[in-house]
Amino acid sequence: MVELLTDFIASPVMQASLLPALLIAVVTASMSVMVMAHRLSFLTVGVSHASLAGLGLAVSLSLPLLPVATVFAVVIALLLALMPERQGISEDAGTGILFAGSMALGIVLISTATTTRVDLFGLLFGNILTVSAEEKIWLYFLGGLILVAMLLASRAWWSIAFDAVTAEASGLPVGLLRMLLYGLVGLTVILCVKLAGIVLTAGLLVLPAACAWLWGRSLAGLWLLSVLFSITGTLAGLIWSYAYEWPSGASVVLALCVIFTASWLFNWGRTWGNQNDNKG
Amino acid sequence: MAQSIVNISHLSFGPANKPVLDNISLNVEAGHFMGIVGPNGAGKSTLINIIAGLIQPDGGHIDLMGECLTRFSRHRLLKQIGFLHQLHDHQPRLPMRVRDVVAMGLANYATPWKRTNEQQSIMDALALVDMAELANRDFRQLSGGQRQRVRLARALVKKPKLLLLDEPSAALDSVSQDRLFRLLRKLCDETGMCAIMVEHDIAAISSHVDSVACLNRQIHHHAMKGENIPDDVWRAMYGDHIQIVAHDAGCIGCHPETGAHHHG
Repeated sequence: MVELLTDFIASPVMQASLLPALLIAVVTASMSVMVMAHRLSFLTVGVSHASLAGLGLAVSLSLPLLPVATVFAVVIALLLALMPERQGISEDAGTGILFAGSMALGIVLISTATTTRVDLFGLLFGNILTVSAEEKIWLYFLGGLILVAMLLASRAWWSIAFDAVTAEASGLPVGLLRMLLYGLVGLTVILCVKLAGIVLTAGLLVLPAACAWLWGRSLAGLWLLSVLFSITGTLAGLIWSYAYEWPSGASVVLALCVIFTASWLFNWGRTWGNQNDNKG
Repeated sequence: MAQSIVNISHLSFGPANKPVLDNISLNVEAGHFMGIVGPNGAGKSTLINIIAGLIQPDGGHIDLMGECLTRFSRHRLLKQIGFLHQLHDHQPRLPMRVRDVVAMGLANYATPWKRTNEQQSIMDALALVDMAELANRDFRQLSGGQRQRVRLARALVKKPKLLLLDEPSAALDSVSQDRLFRLLRKLCDETGMCAIMVEHDIAAISSHVDSVACLNRQIHHHAMKGENIPDDVWRAMYGDHIQIVAHDAGCIGCHPETGAHHHG
């Protein structure tokens, strides 16, 4: 085990990808508590799958992948924020429509692109080990932007998540803040795509907070635990990936699933024990 | 003369052929405690939501604290208003301590870089509703009545000039209801806060409020304390099928000062 960890730390590929992976872990953990609080789990699935169209567009026009996909994901997220309110379509139906339509468009665009070879497996399932220097700069920029926005707006978002009516009645621009949150979810999705790919991104944006929810007793505690679980899951996943040559994104999501299952079982046991104590 | 806190003139809302609110005019001053009563669908909650800036009226004019409520003044004016609504069914079960919930009512909660002496204000508000000893308790573990008291503390923590309450006693037992109305009365008298409260049960509030507005699309009557509401007002609000029963000191379970009230 010690030898494995020494090799893992000494590996040049892992050294290059560890910092971006940990940044992604902190940003997604921070955003995931808001995703859970605002019940946006399905939105993350929709936006991540819809971002395939942005990637397809970049491939077919020979443009840089991440900037184009970023703009596309934010536009999709904002459309989803506006759609239910303006058109009377429920949010899950709107997400489903944009999700399917964009994914189909992405597949068509990628299949017809002739100029560039595309790592479709990497797009779908992610590969943090292949992150380039330009992509790293883009990831650091996006990550920094999301964390600053979280720092400034998190209290307003908590207030809206807890009681949107009172938040609006206290003068908060609830609609604008919701749009900002949806836009940032779009940005975070693109940040995750490099690590976990389009298919598994939702896992990174739901699992850390879902684990923290089982333990947290305050909002600050919830955020800290979410970051802790996310970093633990990312490190464990990368070590598995290195040891068994598994895909990095899938390994990280599996590690987070293990943490969630353990947390859920522990809490279930504790609740069951308390109920029995009360009966006795 | 006390400062006018809410001044509504010729307010209307809803389609012209079937308005939800029609030609409502009201003036409520600092320190005044007003109850709004009326049947279901009378527009009570709509009126409260319009004053709280949540709904735009279709006609008329609203001044809050002497300033016209517009899209531009709304943000500033609403910082001086406390609001307790009744739509709590779909709130997510966030892991929050009682003090965290109350903090959300602070005027500068969303701008933490401007905050001053938050903890003292939170504890003062919790003390007002007798919940200070539960400040660190998980909000999810409280009873319905305790949660409602914490929500009231959240509405009071910014020391509002105007407090709007939409059926605040719905989750409370009769002792807690009476304690709530006494607290509101005390705050209006001692701090000059103005309170406007929607309630179903006029008998429960009539000994505490300064006036009662009888609303059913229009304000049919605005009775001041001690004034009986005429029978024709009850009939205009609830229809002819109601039976008016006069209560007096001999009634079992009645407050003597309540006077006449309606039975459906």
